[in-house]
Amino acid sequence: MSEYDYEDLGLVAGLEIHQQLDTATKLYCQCPTARREPEEATRTFTRYLHPTKSELGEIDDAALEESRVDREFEYLAFDTTCLVEEDDEPPHHIDDEALDVGMQIAAMLDMSVVDQAHVMRKLVVDGSNTSGFQRTTLIGQEGQIETSEGPVGVEDLLLEEESAGRVEETDDGVRYSLDRLGIPLVEIGTKPDISSPEQAREAAERIGMLLRSTGKVKRGLGTIRQDVNVSIADGARVEMKGVQTLDDIEDLVRLEVQRQVELLEIRDELQARDASVGETQDVTDTFEGTESGVIEGALDGGKVTAVPLFGFDGLVGHELQPDRRLGTEFSDHAKRHGAGGIFHTDELPAYGVTQEEVDALKEAVGAGDDDAVAIAAADTETAELAIAAVKERAEAAIEGVPEETRGANDEATTRYLRPLPGAARMYPETDVPPVEPDPSEVEIPELLTERVDRYQAEFGLDAGLAEQVAFGRRMPLFEQAVADGIDATLAAGTLESTTTELRRDDVPVQNLTDDHLLDVLQLVDAGDLAKEGIVDVLTVLAENPDLSAEEAVEEAGLSGVDEAEVRAAVEEVVDRNEEQVEEQGMGAFSALMGEAMGALRGKADGEIVSSTLREEIQKRS
Amino acid sequence: MNPGDRVRVERAGVTNEGVLMPSTTADYLVIKRDGGYNVGIEREDAEVDVLETDVYDVGDEGEGEDSSVVEFDDDLPTIALISTGGTIASTVDYRTGAVTARFDAEDVLRAVPDLAGRANYRGRVVANILSENMTPEIWRDLAAAVHEEIEAGADGVVVMHGTDTMQYSAAALSFMLDTPVPIVFTGSQRSADRPSSDNVMNAVCAVEAAKSDAAEVMVCMHASESDDVCALHEGTRVRKSHTSRRDAFRTIGAKPLGEVDYDTETVSFRRDYAERGAATLDIAADLADDVELVKFTPGMDPAAWDYLEGKSGVVIEGTGLGHVHTDLIPRIEELVDDGAVVAMTSQCLEGRVCDRVYDTGRDLLDAGVVEAGDTLPETAKVKLMWVIANTDDPVGAMQRSLNGELTEQSRPWT
Repeated sequence: MSEYDYEDLGLVAGLEIHQQLDTATKLYCQCPTARREPEEATRTFTRYLHPTKSELGEIDDAALEESRVDREFEYLAFDTTCLVEEDDEPPHHIDDEALDVGMQIAAMLDMSVVDQAHVMRKLVVDGSNTSGFQRTTLIGQEGQIETSEGPVGVEDLLLEEESAGRVEETDDGVRYSLDRLGIPLVEIGTKPDISSPEQAREAAERIGMLLRSTGKVKRGLGTIRQDVNVSIADGARVEMKGVQTLDDIEDLVRLEVQRQVELLEIRDELQARDASVGETQDVTDTFEGTESGVIEGALDGGKVTAVPLFGFDGLVGHELQPDRRLGTEFSDHAKRHGAGGIFHTDELPAYGVTQEEVDALKEAVGAGDDDAVAIAAADTETAELAIAAVKERAEAAIEGVPEETRGANDEATTRYLRPLPGAARMYPETDVPPVEPDPSEVEIPELLTERVDRYQAEFGLDAGLAEQVAFGRRMPLFEQAVADGIDATLAAGTLESTTTELRRDDVPVQNLTDDHLLDVLQLVDAGDLAKEGIVDVLTVLAENPDLSAEEAVEEAGLSGVDEAEVRAAVEEVVDRNEEQVEEQGMGAFSALMGEAMGALRGKADGEIVSSTLREEIQKRS
Repeated sequence: MNPGDRVRVERAGVTNEGVLMPSTTADYLVIKRDGGYNVGIEREDAEVDVLETDVYDVGDEGEGEDSSVVEFDDDLPTIALISTGGTIASTVDYRTGAVTARFDAEDVLRAVPDLAGRANYRGRVVANILSENMTPEIWRDLAAAVHEEIEAGADGVVVMHGTDTMQYSAAALSFMLDTPVPIVFTGSQRSADRPSSDNVMNAVCAVEAAKSDAAEVMVCMHASESDDVCALHEGTRVRKSHTSRRDAFRTIGAKPLGEVDYDTETVSFRRDYAERGAATLDIAADLADDVELVKFTPGMDPAAWDYLEGKSGVVIEGTGLGHVHTDLIPRIEELVDDGAVVAMTSQCLEGRVCDRVYDTGRDLLDAGVVEAGDTLPETAKVKLMWVIANTDDPVGAMQRSLNGELTEQSRPWT
């Protein structure tokens, strides 16, 4: 990947961060925010959605396009969901706890909380909301965060309801799970103040840290989603969705800049060549008796459509991002209309398509040496829609970079998803009265970065462990353990390092509850379990989560080691190594210590073993 | 500064630019920002600049005033769509809350495009009210309008009605009209301004039912929480039994008369019904307006029954088999002696009253109470209003079925 001068290119980027809140109840009902498995569903029902006019009398184009397909949505309901999620009961009042967390986040982002918050309905007709809209409320405005490359403005803070989780596509539509619907979600939108990939990452990291500092956000896969908006001076605003990790943000911005730069290069070349896009045509006859499996498969009842791309020769195969060419963009658009993809002459002959067929194709559509042709093979309707979409995208290539919404791929490249959403998707939620939030009682919590410093200063943890604990999921447990008088280093080491080691050894650490961990730490603190036995006891607990910590100690065979037993074991070791002890005296200590510990299998505290061993060696030497 | 103006408001260092909304109050300016979000800004200390006036024509229907251009198809039946208000086909103006009174065929199709191609439509507005504001006066107007439409050749009638009092209106029309065509009431439990509204499916199924062979007054609403089947309830046996669910309407004491499959558009029936064309169109829309429905509850102040003085009819919603506190029986006797028809129904809803089992019941019968069988209390009220105005023997009429409101046999499994 080439390095660009981002300032020179006029890179402008912004972030949109969605974070689920970990509140006791959902945003508009009293159901818990617990996630469920589809198999646990207790009822199902099916619905259709019909688009409606917005408050200003307009129907959103994107929404209309979505709704053209008459799709049936099936919903899974649980013993943890109610009629509100089913859109069969009006929403209750906005959840106080979520509003409080929202105001806290606003304060941390240096934002003004609105005087009066109005709940809006944002039209969403893909079925992910049973109502056909998502309830969303602007609660904070005009904030700012610091980055090493300067401040980044925060445009707005929205408090919204999470959508229903998509379970799977069905024959008639989509199946959704209602457990996720209504979980409170904050959406934070920065201003387009970000001017480098590194700054994008840093800003996202900063916001993520602030959110986690509240201690009221959900953790784990899918609980935070980052969208990145990018444009360069001559390019266009592109919204990238579904960014999984912070590391990806940098690469995504880089690769999107590259994509826009390459598209502009293609544009310049196309304009220099006076390129144009011809009319779409049916070229089924050209491929009669073809040996291409893909095309042959479509010919049974379907057809092959083509669009001549005058002046495009060589440019359709032009690489925009690693392994993605202009042709790939065409393909994305064709796929949106149900086609498997397209072929284009820059990559043909290949895939069973012969040179003769390519020549015949070019002739059939009046394309010459400087031109390219794209084809789609599918059932009649799909083939027609797909090639029309390719035509439209090719025309846009002559103009430059189209504005659009893209989805992140695993390698930080992106694919076309849909046009940018329009603004006419919002109207007031008349079932929920406006609220006047009162931010006067809001307190800013200790930031996780501050916590890292404190853990080092107060508990003497090293920087790495302090950060691991502070940013870790078990931070509240660590705080509790320390408050209970447990040694901070022991607690930190057990909660972070030990659990990490166990996970690496495929121990089902996810089964360990906070109580398990705290009980084990307390047993160590009380002298009932040796530090060395922690790994074994936690392993037993992880594999038998129903056991108590005491039972696990017994199960691990680590209970009931008193001093006499330690001495007996140590004596046995010393006896066995009599010669060595006589020869080396205390010099034999470390070798024998290992042996003694092994013999006691972690049942005894290392310090007791070592002092006993010292005594025994002294006795014999 | 007026709603619809584009304004810039500055307050406490925050600037909001957008369209001023009519939901603005004395304390808060409500601005629709360009992103679509509404935000309320305290008026106090707010600096307002009007940037442009009347950006949006807030308050007027956005649609043009073109006259109806929906073509008439000779091959399709004609269905009269009559609106009494409610949410099903109304084009609500979000900004003012006003419901448009225009209701021609084109308005109907604009509100529910899925109705297109099923029938020729004639739209008509009888009232524009929330259904809790329904009155016997409007029932008379509604009956007259339905009568007119059928007389003018409608092959079926769909009445779009708010759900709160739909069962009363359906019962009223059941008694007031002899109909040779289906009269189907429908509405929506979730407002038409949401993509998930049940209005589309209910309206489509109601039209299919109105095209069917059953010349009955029916209520057509969701049969379950799913958008798959609408139930057809007899107008005199139906009750709204849930505040918010789509399938709020239930036939009491039996399964619904029939159903409409939304997907296949087939209408099917479980029991016999009056066939299309069997009855001759007739109307008897008079009602006695001084009929009360009273519910007896333990501890109630007997004075609460003082206002029944001089009424021509009283329907009691008694306990169990049809009882009230023994102390109230002399009061009932007075009412009957005064010339009132006093009919007994049960707050159990399911099952028929029987005042021959216990002493209280026998005393009630001695006092002159008329047993209304398994007639639902709400239906009994409407029926008593009608029988007092239209029959010579209201007491006898209350004890027999006129329109399926009182069943002969208790067969709740059918």
